[in-house]
Amino acid sequence: MVCLDQRRCVVHKLSTKKAFIAYFAFGWLLLIVADRVDELRVYQGATIAVTTLAIASIILLTGYSGQVSLGQGAFLAVGAYAAALSQTYWQSPFWFTLLIAILVSAAFGFILAFAAGRMSGPYLAGTTLALAVGLPTLANQFSFLGGETGLVYDAGLPPERFGEEFTLYKWFFWIAAFVALIAMFLLRNLLNSRFGRTWKALRANSTAASLCGVNVAQSKITAFTISAGLAGLAGALLGMISIVAPSAFPLSLSFTIITGAILAGVTSLLGSMLGAVILVVIPEIADVIAHQFGDSEKITTNLPGFIVSVLLILTVLFSPNGPAEAMRKRKEQHAKH
Amino acid sequence: MISLRRKKSILAAVAVTSFALIASAVPANAEVGVSSTEIKLGTTVPMTGIAAPGYNKVAPAMKAYFDYINDNGGVYGRKINLIIKDDRYIPQEAINKTNELILKDKVFALVGQLGTANHLAVTSKVRIASRNIPSLFLNTGYSGFADVKKFKTSFMHFPTYVAEAKILSSYIKENFTGKKTCLLVQNDEFGADASKGFAAAGLTFDETVKYVSGTQSATTAQTWITRFAGAKCEVVVLFSVSSATAAALGVASAAGYKPQWILGSVGADSTTLRIALNNPQAQALLNGAIGVSFMPDALDTTDEYISLFREVNTKYSPGVAFDTNVLVGMNAAMLTVQALRAAGKNPTRRSLIAAMESKGSTFASAAYGNLAVSKTSRAGFTGYWFGKFNLAGALIPLDAGRTMYTTDSGTGPVTKASAKRAPLPAKGIPTNS
Repeated sequence: MVCLDQRRCVVHKLSTKKAFIAYFAFGWLLLIVADRVDELRVYQGATIAVTTLAIASIILLTGYSGQVSLGQGAFLAVGAYAAALSQTYWQSPFWFTLLIAILVSAAFGFILAFAAGRMSGPYLAGTTLALAVGLPTLANQFSFLGGETGLVYDAGLPPERFGEEFTLYKWFFWIAAFVALIAMFLLRNLLNSRFGRTWKALRANSTAASLCGVNVAQSKITAFTISAGLAGLAGALLGMISIVAPSAFPLSLSFTIITGAILAGVTSLLGSMLGAVILVVIPEIADVIAHQFGDSEKITTNLPGFIVSVLLILTVLFSPNGPAEAMRKRKEQHAKH
Repeated sequence: MISLRRKKSILAAVAVTSFALIASAVPANAEVGVSSTEIKLGTTVPMTGIAAPGYNKVAPAMKAYFDYINDNGGVYGRKINLIIKDDRYIPQEAINKTNELILKDKVFALVGQLGTANHLAVTSKVRIASRNIPSLFLNTGYSGFADVKKFKTSFMHFPTYVAEAKILSSYIKENFTGKKTCLLVQNDEFGADASKGFAAAGLTFDETVKYVSGTQSATTAQTWITRFAGAKCEVVVLFSVSSATAAALGVASAAGYKPQWILGSVGADSTTLRIALNNPQAQALLNGAIGVSFMPDALDTTDEYISLFREVNTKYSPGVAFDTNVLVGMNAAMLTVQALRAAGKNPTRRSLIAAMESKGSTFASAAYGNLAVSKTSRAGFTGYWFGKFNLAGALIPLDAGRTMYTTDSGTGPVTKASAKRAPLPAKGIPTNS
């Protein structure tokens, strides 16, 4: 932060070089921590990494370009199935399947954005919602998609040189965290570039942006495409940890991702990790509470959803842009004084 | 430039977070899930959701029997603690809940997991085989689970669906030659297994309806019955889960459609019918239907195993009606106790698997015949007897001698033999080693 005088202070973002160092250092920290914690935490860490990516796709789409999608789960499904199909039928190497997942879901997003280009607000939200409802069930209609059982999608076993103690879930965590860090770094740079500034202008006032020479339709389509690609990557990683089957991509997944984005702040990329942590921690909290009530399975099943709903309401009422954004504004106000 | 104060805050946050995470690290345990006082087991079943009617009684029934054993000394002094998780019959949930059981609850073994698609998802993603985690007495007859190479640590309970379909085919060919025969199956591995069995037996159907798991309801059943009635099916095989069987029978009854029903073992339970159709007299819909079972009928109080299990149910699950689902749960639990005993006084996951392989075929059970488990097979029981349901929903053997039809999951023939099984252990408490 640089203070020009007693009244004007500007918070500078980290330069790209410094951001790279920060992400690199954070990655190393994650590796060290993964080596020290038990398998449950590592598994949760992998889930957090995947959820962070999924939430980041919403932050780009909604927080930056102002487009609402209630069906991000559909893009996760497209990415996961694309990755699984390329592995099953083309025997593609795992890392290549991730690229396939990004490209296919981005292409899907591009087509959808083009088709729904004139829609916005609740109409676009409704279209994406319909997609989230209908798309996963297509797997039951075509046998090559594996039906209810789904498709096998495998990251393979950890390299033997890591030793027997290196568990499969640690391997998943390494992959998910590595991919998520790279994707988030690239996304950060993108959002700090002219693309990000253009999307912010769109979100603020698309008419004004248009008058300033911004091609509104093209910018929206670009945002939608990149967001879909990112979601597809998250979907492939989710398929790696979980399964590639309709049951892995229910409608509730889309709502969970949006909830995570809102809880953390739809305009805050850093907040996407906070949102992911909250979503993973809530079932743990629900378990502790359920334990107080005799480990009732009904409480354990329903309480996480209840807690998330309450948090969502509180966030919208008291911190609509999320806690990360609220902290940033408090810092700016503090800097001014 | 980051201020010094901010740097200190960041470093403090990182230090605290790292310390907390490191402190939560759990040292390796000698054998997971076994202590001097307790053996922790876990199961994932549909306690809620569309497949819950009936199946949500299986795991509590297991727990009831384990409680009975615990009150009678446990297994070598250790109490069995069964942790039940609800997977709502959704494969994704089965993975999540199994991971919770293994990673969080740290169970010794899994037991009685229910559902073909669910267990396929669990074995594929949770990789219990490579992690040497036993999953005993699966509540599914998917024939693939008998393959020891692919499912090294999974052990079946039921005869396979392929074998069951072959046995049903044999009966249909003997008794309903020339009649239009139709089939209802689930559109997943469960249904595919059955179809494989019917094909192996050379039985073809005039109309086959495949329903998507989770979509069964009175509305969808309407389309099934319309198709069967339209094809003038005289014999209809319902190889479906309880809720789908109930929906089909309910809709058919309302429409006045009365073919000869032949019910697969998975879906034929009178209590489930009553719950699913919300009709206390719904078991009457089973009247006249042909069914199969590998155990005595749950309503047969003259049977020593049924009598014992009913007593246990009355004491440890008061208010719960004893039916096929409770019988399946208790039988699996009795087999589990014998497996734990055979694993030795200091059981490990490896010794449990070895015990199943070497001694599993000798375990006493309400089921007729023996488990076909060995070093080279993970198969469960292998035979069925035929009966006809009466108005009370009881399955009455077609012949007094209770002829067992036995076959494999391949192309082997269906053979007949009289029903045999080991006598009930004293007071229903296994003492094997």
